[in-house]
Amino acid sequence: MDTTAISSASTFASKDFKSDLKPIWCPGCGDFGVLQAIYRALAAVGRPPHEIAFISGIGCSSRIPGYTTAYGFNSVHGRALPIAQGLKLARPELLVLVAGGDGDGFSIGGGHVAHAIRRNDDLTYIVMDNKTYGLTKGQLSPTSPKGSRSVTSAYGSLENPVNPLMYVLAYGASFVAQGTPADIPGLSAMIEEAIRFPGFAFVNVQSPCVTYGEEGQQIKAHKAVMKKLETVGHDATSRIQALDKAQTYGQELLTGVFFRDPNPPPTLGALVKQRHEALMPKAAPRERILDSFVQH
Amino acid sequence: MSSTKGIDFAALSLKDALDLAVLIEEEACERYEEFADQMEIHHTREAARFFRVMAGNEEKHRTELAERRSERFGEQPSAVTRAMIFDVEAPDYDEARAFMSERAALRAALRSEEKAHAFFVAALPKIKDAAVRKLFEELRDEEIEHQELVRREIAKAPADPNFPDDDFGDEPVGQ
Repeated sequence: MDTTAISSASTFASKDFKSDLKPIWCPGCGDFGVLQAIYRALAAVGRPPHEIAFISGIGCSSRIPGYTTAYGFNSVHGRALPIAQGLKLARPELLVLVAGGDGDGFSIGGGHVAHAIRRNDDLTYIVMDNKTYGLTKGQLSPTSPKGSRSVTSAYGSLENPVNPLMYVLAYGASFVAQGTPADIPGLSAMIEEAIRFPGFAFVNVQSPCVTYGEEGQQIKAHKAVMKKLETVGHDATSRIQALDKAQTYGQELLTGVFFRDPNPPPTLGALVKQRHEALMPKAAPRERILDSFVQH
Repeated sequence: MSSTKGIDFAALSLKDALDLAVLIEEEACERYEEFADQMEIHHTREAARFFRVMAGNEEKHRTELAERRSERFGEQPSAVTRAMIFDVEAPDYDEARAFMSERAALRAALRSEEKAHAFFVAALPKIKDAAVRKLFEELRDEEIEHQELVRREIAKAPADPNFPDDDFGDEPVGQ
């Protein structure tokens, strides 16, 4: 229990971000806790709902934008990141959140993750990693552990899982964290920090599937085994240490910020603005733009 | 798993303590409403009905505490917010299960009342203000009464079916 002084009240409360749409996830699903953590993080950040856009792909977790009062787009499978990048480019003043599952992010949408990272748009990408395709009734997903038995692997999976933490760290993400709905206070603080981070921020949430997930992956098991990175002497400013700790994915449940670049690189938005300002003095007036395409 | 953030129990005033108690009841009420909604969506009517009753009880307690706060401190602004409490009396999200029996729902409520009791027991040694201490002792004792009430309901509830709740595979609702 943290017992510091009473902190100042925020302008917004969690309920301001809760929509009237009732979640239809299976009771006991980890995504309920993730949603609660998102409400709390948004309340702490204090941007009004109409200044927030929440983009998702397809899957159980991708229903999340509808459960918030922010603008939302439950888009196309695996394509949440390209849509979010386009939106951020067009409306840089918006706070843009992206959400999806491990299948959406690391299978069909896997290629987009690398490009979102290298462009470094100011986005917060929350992956609800439940190690299965829950919505389509329990097929193997990219993060299913080797040996998992499912409707598509009756004798156990022969494939190694994707490690989302290693994946994004290796591509150069500047903010990488992992949480669990077994620790909603920790998760909401992590999401808040990710939102405030200037640049692409990735939060992997081990969000158990109550229907198709294994016993050892449920919230009760998380409570028993989770270890906070801050308690194991981790230096979150070191990408090398982060990569080292990220290798435990699938064996241990480490939570907290794996990597936070102490010198965040400029965002794509900042570079675009810089380029715009540099070219503006030489730019033709708007009514003469067509001239640059016409041979005189 | 209950916790608080940013609350110095040693410096807690009676006004803030009453506000905190109101927020704890409010959080529990909302969670029971959420659980009732989940159960209704997943055709688990008995548990839904029970969770709705629990939400009503929590709302009743919240109103009583809010009235006491209002009588004593009027419109004075509050120094505590919902951001400072996490699942103090609200059942944890993973307590809910599709097709849970009425008895299972009662057991989930009992664990929540026990959790709330543990919260007040843990906070009491840190409290310096005599009036706040008295309030927390009252709230702690009420949690024991609530536990007894729930236990009596458990004793009256129909026996669990001969298979665990987990035997039901509740398939996700379509996109």
